[in-house]
Amino acid sequence: MISQKKHALKVSREYTQANFAWILSTIVTMILLWNSFSFKEGNIKTSVFYVFLIYAVFTSFQLFLTWKMKRDLLKYGEIQTTTRKLGYIQLFSIATANIFTAAFAFNLIKKKKTPEYVFAVYMVLTQLFILAISSFNLFKPYVTDSFIPAMGALMLIMVFQIIMLVLVAKYVQAGAAPSWMLIPAILLIITSLTGNLFNLLLGVSLIVKIRSHDQSRIIKWNTMWDKITRNSTAILGMFFIILLFSLSVCSVYTFDYDMAVENNYGALLQKPSLEYPFGTDDFGRDLFSRIIFGARISLLVGFASTLIPVVIGGFLGALAGYYSKRADNIIMRLLDILYAVPGILLAIAIIAAFGANTLNLILALSVGAIPTYARTMRANVLMVSNYEFVESARALGSSDFSIIFKQIVPNSLAPMIVKATLTIGGAVIATSSLSFLGLGVEPHIPEWGNILKIGSTYLESHSYLAIIPGLAIIGLVLSFNFLGDGLRDALDPRMD
Amino acid sequence: METKSESSYKIGFSEVLIYTYRKMIKRNAFKYLLYILGFPIHLITLLFYRSKQKNDTYSSILEEVKASFIASGVENEWSNEYKEQYIRKQAFFNRQVKEQEMNEEIKRLMEEKLSKRVFEKANEISKQKGVRQLTYDTYFQSLLEKPFFLLLTFIPGILMYLLLIIYSNPYVQFIFERLIMSVFVIAGVSILVFTILYLSPFDSAANLLGEAATKEQIAAFNQMHGLDLPYLSQLWNALKGIATFNLGASFTGNEDVATSIANKFPITLIIAVFSLLMAVVIAIPVGIISATRQNSFLDYSFMFIALIGLSIPNFWQGLIFILNFSIKLQWLPATYSPQNWLSIIMPVIVLGTGLTASVARMTRSSMLEIINEDYIITAKAKGLNERQVLWKHAVGNAMIPIITVIGLLFGGMLGGAAVTEKVFNISGIGSYIVDKQFIPDIPAIMGGVIYIAITISLVNVLIDILYAFFDPRIRSKMKQL
Repeated sequence: MISQKKHALKVSREYTQANFAWILSTIVTMILLWNSFSFKEGNIKTSVFYVFLIYAVFTSFQLFLTWKMKRDLLKYGEIQTTTRKLGYIQLFSIATANIFTAAFAFNLIKKKKTPEYVFAVYMVLTQLFILAISSFNLFKPYVTDSFIPAMGALMLIMVFQIIMLVLVAKYVQAGAAPSWMLIPAILLIITSLTGNLFNLLLGVSLIVKIRSHDQSRIIKWNTMWDKITRNSTAILGMFFIILLFSLSVCSVYTFDYDMAVENNYGALLQKPSLEYPFGTDDFGRDLFSRIIFGARISLLVGFASTLIPVVIGGFLGALAGYYSKRADNIIMRLLDILYAVPGILLAIAIIAAFGANTLNLILALSVGAIPTYARTMRANVLMVSNYEFVESARALGSSDFSIIFKQIVPNSLAPMIVKATLTIGGAVIATSSLSFLGLGVEPHIPEWGNILKIGSTYLESHSYLAIIPGLAIIGLVLSFNFLGDGLRDALDPRMD
Repeated sequence: METKSESSYKIGFSEVLIYTYRKMIKRNAFKYLLYILGFPIHLITLLFYRSKQKNDTYSSILEEVKASFIASGVENEWSNEYKEQYIRKQAFFNRQVKEQEMNEEIKRLMEEKLSKRVFEKANEISKQKGVRQLTYDTYFQSLLEKPFFLLLTFIPGILMYLLLIIYSNPYVQFIFERLIMSVFVIAGVSILVFTILYLSPFDSAANLLGEAATKEQIAAFNQMHGLDLPYLSQLWNALKGIATFNLGASFTGNEDVATSIANKFPITLIIAVFSLLMAVVIAIPVGIISATRQNSFLDYSFMFIALIGLSIPNFWQGLIFILNFSIKLQWLPATYSPQNWLSIIMPVIVLGTGLTASVARMTRSSMLEIINEDYIITAKAKGLNERQVLWKHAVGNAMIPIITVIGLLFGGMLGGAAVTEKVFNISGIGSYIVDKQFIPDIPAIMGGVIYIAITISLVNVLIDILYAFFDPRIRSKMKQL
């Protein structure tokens, strides 16, 4: 019996997530504690210290919850309802923007979690974070004209999302969703125009469950998302990426671009304050707005310089893998030449020849990445083209073209998606590195590498100018890597 | 005794040659290569072959059979048959029978059939008589058997014999092919990089000489650096320059590009090699520990740190290091100087972080894959203890893919060195290229990029060759060839 309960502790996903949440929450708390002392003057910064205290309370509560869960699991083999009820208290940690404990609390209070529930939870969390981050603009001397209506719209959407969260928690089951949810689902897809892609995911997921009568398809969909969502780091990475994406979309209406690019000689090199959360740089530009607008460029360049080589490399790789040895040899040997030059070096050469701007940067980064995708695709196509369904398509008289692009390519996309996700992070780093060298995005555009370049000259006196954009880059890259790892675990058939 | 051993050696030698010749002649590309390399010999032997072919038993049999076929009068029979077929076919398609076309068709079909029949019959007869069909290749092979022929033709056919000797040993063949391939890749890289820079819309002359430059000055500049030549001759000059380490003078400062690169290369390589050492020393033990304690707290922490290491941009890490260790703590100098060995520590760590992280992740996954293999389970079932299984059976095999990854990442590290060099103010090859790209100084950029690519190719060739000797799978695969 005892070993059985120990097993229950081991397989309990919620317990793992609880551990994950308290460890990360503790780290954040410690960082806050560290920052609440100013070592030079030897006194305590009261505002930061209060934030630390609040975090410490929720972290201790999280520790308590984890301990209680462990006891439940060892004693009864499952988590008791009272423990789950305690999760409602932990929901309040959302007010402190502690995403780790908040996400955990949502996980705890619902016993049977569908992918839709997880989407709905993260949808609301994302929207909340967008609103919170955007409302920092209220401390500024002025806001853009579109700020009030935009915030109003975002809030309305959030009310709708919270209603949907409750409905989903109540009515959606693992195998089916009630058919009256079709219209809300469509509304959700429409509201995903704000960039909150969890809306889109939830909407699509609901429609799949409403429309599809094929249980195997629903089960397949459930297992795939289940594997991704149970991976705490993967879903967290996805959350951060979607948050940044949505912020870059919403910032058009809620942030003032002039704050990020126009010089303000009245506010040069200000320390972080409520008006300027991250301080200002040597031209008096608000670093907070610059970071927000920089996300747009980083995401754009990251996605574009991954999508282009995925398409080109995938196409070439598919041809090389499907056709004869000669075509294969010619394509792959030519790509070997590209492969022999390190990507960033090739990018430097291309930019040296054609000039530094965003478009050239995207092209330069794309060219160097083609061979890796071609190799991945080729290996998959070689494997897939031996399957029976390809044989049967050929027997039915399909043309080579339709066999490749209708049968083989869709079935060999999974490793490409994983690889692409894992390399977007690399592209983001490459973008900022090249900008830092003066070879990337034009210097007047607020891009994280450009911001860092300015910050590096004020390293001694105003180090936050260099630290914050770096943290933003790491956050985004780490998120892509987490998501990529999660996708690999979910999509890689070898792991089954 | 001595003569005997010598002769046996000689026989062995020519046998090896014949065996390799037979193997190579099967593939068209090699066949033509052999013909070209041994052109003088093949020309002469071909003449001998022609004269021999005439009084060859096989060809006389062929003649006889042909004569007998024609004499037997089957031709008429076939002709009627084909004629009937043709007419029926035209009738089926409702077409007019054209006399001339029909005769041509019949003649063609007849000849085809005749030669086929003759060939079949002749083969049958020669098989009974035990005569081998004489082709040029069999004739040449019979010549190779004769030591006298070998001695006589060794000097003019040295190239062909060298190729045969190279291909007689699978290892040498592999190394040779790998080297040839990398020569092609290097040439391709040179052409690619040159073409990219050639297509540049920037006018280096106008950038350098300023707006006030006269047409004559620009023309003189272009002429001095060979920029007024057509594409192909510029390309040829560039390729020649790369092969002979003579890239001419750079556009600015009038320094010799090859010398500058040679001066700046060592420091980049030193930092890269130290980073590599750091990565290997740290990452492989970490990976092994993580794999052996899969899903433990230690494993999670290591992999979390590795992922963070993978996500940190080099330049940011460099800046943070400078901020903490140079400005705040004042332990290490912020910029590199050749006299102070302490100043190399930070660049090495910064450049090596990404590599360390990838190698640790790779080691873990490779070890996990190996640990679950059947032969490891067998080893455990046989009663070996964990340590023996791990160190004698698992680690060695897990290292194989890791070495490839290290080779590939080493290339990326050399390429990415530019950023680290810029942060720590190291005058290595990377920062040299970046400094030169604003003009753009074409010979300098081209030289830098191509020589880095060449270094990387050579490292990868070395790794591939080492594999051929160490990986038992590749070894057995090569022996089957």
